[in-house]
Amino acid sequence: MSNPQVGAVYQQIIADVVESSRVDFEEGGVDEHVLEELKLGWQQKLSQLQVAAFPWDPKQEPQPTIANPPTIPSNAGNYQMSTPPVSTQMQQSNNVPAPMPPTNNNVGPRIKQEPGLDNTQAGGMSQPPFQPPIIQGTTAQQRAAAHLQANYGPRAAASISAIQSGAPQQGQNSQPTMQQIQAHQQAMHQQQQQQMMQQQQRQGGMQQQQRPPMTAEQYKAAMAMHTQQRLQNQNSVNGAQNDGAGDDFEGPVAIIKRYNANGEQELGRMEVDGLIRDKIAAMGQAMEGGGLMLPLREASNAKKRQRKVKRSVSGLAPQHDGPGSDDDEDNKDHVKDEELDEDAINSDLDDPDDGLNDEEDDDEGMGHIMLCMYDKVQRVKNKWKCVMKDGVLTVNGKEYVFHKASGEYEW
Amino acid sequence: MATTGQSFYELYRRSSIGMALTDTLDDLISERRIEPQLAMKILANFDRSITEVLADKVKARLTFKGHLDTYRFCDEVWTFLIKDVTFKMENSSQTVHADKVKIVSCNSKRPGDPQ
Repeated sequence: MSNPQVGAVYQQIIADVVESSRVDFEEGGVDEHVLEELKLGWQQKLSQLQVAAFPWDPKQEPQPTIANPPTIPSNAGNYQMSTPPVSTQMQQSNNVPAPMPPTNNNVGPRIKQEPGLDNTQAGGMSQPPFQPPIIQGTTAQQRAAAHLQANYGPRAAASISAIQSGAPQQGQNSQPTMQQIQAHQQAMHQQQQQQMMQQQQRQGGMQQQQRPPMTAEQYKAAMAMHTQQRLQNQNSVNGAQNDGAGDDFEGPVAIIKRYNANGEQELGRMEVDGLIRDKIAAMGQAMEGGGLMLPLREASNAKKRQRKVKRSVSGLAPQHDGPGSDDDEDNKDHVKDEELDEDAINSDLDDPDDGLNDEEDDDEGMGHIMLCMYDKVQRVKNKWKCVMKDGVLTVNGKEYVFHKASGEYEW
Repeated sequence: MATTGQSFYELYRRSSIGMALTDTLDDLISERRIEPQLAMKILANFDRSITEVLADKVKARLTFKGHLDTYRFCDEVWTFLIKDVTFKMENSSQTVHADKVKIVSCNSKRPGDPQ
């Protein structure tokens, strides 16, 4: 059995890599304790996997001892599983430009932030009942707007602005925007408070400008975080982010709509992009006489592709299925959708039904996978014979290493 | 090392040990502790190291049988999706069964490869 060997082999690999990387660290001017940290982190991540994937024999202790000896595998697993999300959260919030409480999309954290702001605004007047509706109103708006944006891209611009500007008109009590709150407040207040109000408004003006985009950002950040956490839960291999922190949303792109100091709506970057894209598309259409110059295949796909592009450019980079839709069905739906209209070259290899592609989506972490080199692959009719060597096999949550493996299977 | 480093497959980065390394490097990069270039070098070291260690230290053999569901040969890489597969570890008579296993396999006789 090659299983007990895995620990020793991996330990040797780690030691080997650390040793040979020492020079690179020196050349890069990176302190050596970072290398140590790399080693520890690597081992810890690995033993985390091991605990989650397969219970270590006591024999394999040497490797985990260096990191964090899991005496009782299940407990250690729980403990260690809980740590990385925290660290990634911290890490993420470090990189996030806007202050972003590391919670998911519930409203909790923002309430905390609100009272401070609202207190400065509400100043001497007593209108606390406004607060909860404000929050919920904006969140719902944001969500609806973001959803529209995600699904229909710039085409939804009109609907989005309708949502954002129209909603407050329904009832100031239920969904006032910041401007309207202030207008409302102003109307209600005596002359003597006017002076104070103006002062507040100057502050408020600053806040106004930042506020709507900030909530949009926060919302997205929360969504991204949420997705990430889901991913982490699903797959312990991806205990930490693979793609580095902070690149899954970009501040400026996320602005759907903003208000300038006068309370007028400015077009957000996305909307402007959308307008330009539509314009270009229209021009292209005109020049080509309605797609005559396109190859037939592309012409039929053009519409789909356009939608795909719009969707992906709409700024919601990590989540293509629109925020708020956490149900897997929706998710899958869109994955399928994308597979169909992704910028494929329409070869057989892009066939989503062929199983191999499915695999990659399903379990790119701890799937059942054998990574190896082949010495020989033979086929007679439908009988295959292969000789593999130097492989790592992960199956049923256990890992094996082998020098040689021969397989026979029929198609 | 830089020249030989080129001739090792990056295939094993997908293994659990490779993923663990990649994750750790990602963390370090996002904390701005190391440069991405350094991470690439480390990964290249890993490619070399795991290839060598697997070749030198591992002696275990195994056989497996199953039903081939999908096969693909592209750029000298065989990819098999085998269903209902049974692995048999030699010298321990232990068997492991899996519903499906994906095999990604590079050519062992790679031009330029020292082996």
